Amino acid sequence: MKKYINKINKNNLPVIVSTLILINFSFGAFLYNFTHDPYTTDIIQRLTPPGEGFIFGTDEVGFDIFSRTIVAGKIDLFISLSGTFAALIIGLPLGLMASDKTKNAERIMKVLDMFQAFPLLVLAIVIVTMWGNNIRNVIFAIILINVPRFTRLIRSEALTVRESRFIEVAIAMGASKTRIISKHLLPNILGTLLAQASITTAHSIVVVAALSFIGIGVVPPEASWGSMIRAGSQYMMTGQWWMSVFPGLAIFFSVLSFNTISQYILRKYEQI
Amino acid sequence: MLKIIFKKLIFIPIASFFVSSLAFIVVNLTPGDPVEVIAGGIATEETKQAIRVELGLDKSVTERYINYLTELLDGNLGSSFYNKIPVLDSINKYLFDTFELIIMSLFIAVVLGFFIGGLGAYFRGKLPDKLTNIILSVIQSVPDFFLGLLLIYFLFYKFELVPAPIGRIGLSDIPPEEISGGLLIDSMLAGNWETFKIGLKHALLPSVTLGIFYSSYFGRTARNVLGKSLNSKQVEFAKSLGLSKFRMFIYALVDARTPILTYVAILFAGLFGACAIIETVFAWNGIGQWAITKILMLDIPAIQGFILFAGLITLFTYTFLDILITYLDPRIRKKTL
Repeated sequence: MKKYINKINKNNLPVIVSTLILINFSFGAFLYNFTHDPYTTDIIQRLTPPGEGFIFGTDEVGFDIFSRTIVAGKIDLFISLSGTFAALIIGLPLGLMASDKTKNAERIMKVLDMFQAFPLLVLAIVIVTMWGNNIRNVIFAIILINVPRFTRLIRSEALTVRESRFIEVAIAMGASKTRIISKHLLPNILGTLLAQASITTAHSIVVVAALSFIGIGVVPPEASWGSMIRAGSQYMMTGQWWMSVFPGLAIFFSVLSFNTISQYILRKYEQI
Repeated sequence: MLKIIFKKLIFIPIASFFVSSLAFIVVNLTPGDPVEVIAGGIATEETKQAIRVELGLDKSVTERYINYLTELLDGNLGSSFYNKIPVLDSINKYLFDTFELIIMSLFIAVVLGFFIGGLGAYFRGKLPDKLTNIILSVIQSVPDFFLGLLLIYFLFYKFELVPAPIGRIGLSDIPPEEISGGLLIDSMLAGNWETFKIGLKHALLPSVTLGIFYSSYFGRTARNVLGKSLNSKQVEFAKSLGLSKFRMFIYALVDARTPILTYVAILFAGLFGACAIIETVFAWNGIGQWAITKILMLDIPAIQGFILFAGLITLFTYTFLDILITYLDPRIRKKTL
């Protein structure tokens, strides 16, 4: 243990804290011994301010805000992470294909450009309402929003790396296309890719929250940060701040964590 | 230059066709049956069939698509499924409200972003640089609707500095006669400064929210571009000539105009959809809020109309931006010729 503590320094401390925050929200249901169940309401204790009994207070129907803020992380982070991961998996071959200097490559980019012309948040809302209000479609919307971004990024990165000498040498030595991509191209764009994935996850958390904030996607009684903020939004005008503020802070810290991790990855890869 | 403009403009009709097709596809090629959702679970088969005929969903997709395109050529976007108001009229009605919000927000975002980013670039590597970097990270991590709620709590509830977030004007205030549809523009045109002032007060919270939120984009860009050009050869030359630090800063600003313009244009186009949630929070009654209500009601013609409209706005803005940048930046101009 001491060995690990000694390794903490000014550079990696933010990342360690960020990781801890994310673990806290992902596995919160196991880490805490909740005094109040996140899915049962206490009608008598409605709108209790934070304090003894309920550390984060209760909402308008008597849900305990603390336990709900913690367990909401599991579903919100799961959607954002899986959506981002799937988008990356789809975007990678597309981006590599688009980095060829062929007519097809140009076509891929043209289609993606068209796609970018749409208001993506509204598109996500349309998909979730019209295709059915469930978690699978929220993930699908996240994928749809992010595939063009990954494709674009991978293409531009691959284009730069492809110009470099060592690729030229590898081609001259008769290396196969698979070998060039897996041994030379991918390791060189991995850093940027991971950093982008981290930022995308952060962005997806906000999209998921925005969806449940307007009442679609993850809906009560299932806990999600967006719907919790929605439940408290009217009460911000009358001073019961705790209903919206705690889930809002949870979003803030998760997003900040992913952004911090992204910056750290970028710096790490730039050093090499 | 004229040749370049012509080249860009000729692309618009083709792109418009694609955008309108995509708008159709998104709404019409859905795996589920929208009628089920509109009619609700307990509707009889007859009701469902009636809705289908009403929406034209009994026809095949190709038939509907051709129908949609011919209507579109006449400038007809169809009318709302529920209240039969033509979609184009609704867009007209709400467009300028959102337009006003976007202009004010972008103004705040640019000024604030430049201030933060400029401060960082001016004191590169020193304490203010680190501080502004932290501030930008924080702004980037707050969802805009949450920021809006925080501002409501502090500025409205706690300090009572702004009126209640219930719309563009108070409940007892009389709106000006509609000319453009935008409250501030209309009251200005009517010379009604009293209403203008009230409208401005109500606009404060939403535009400050969006302004702060998007200032992080400009802040980061300003910091990077200004930092780079302050380290560049021409600024070093200016320094060796004995020009003041402030003068050099102004020179660096000129360098930053293209990326900043690009961001302004991208955000301007994107905000017509992206400000939807903020509009909902503040009951702004703009086009974004209208779109969200319509989407939740599954008002298919309206959704289609809005997506098409937003796509076209983006298309025209980007084309205009392209032309502007080729005009401003001789390097790009040389390349495209």
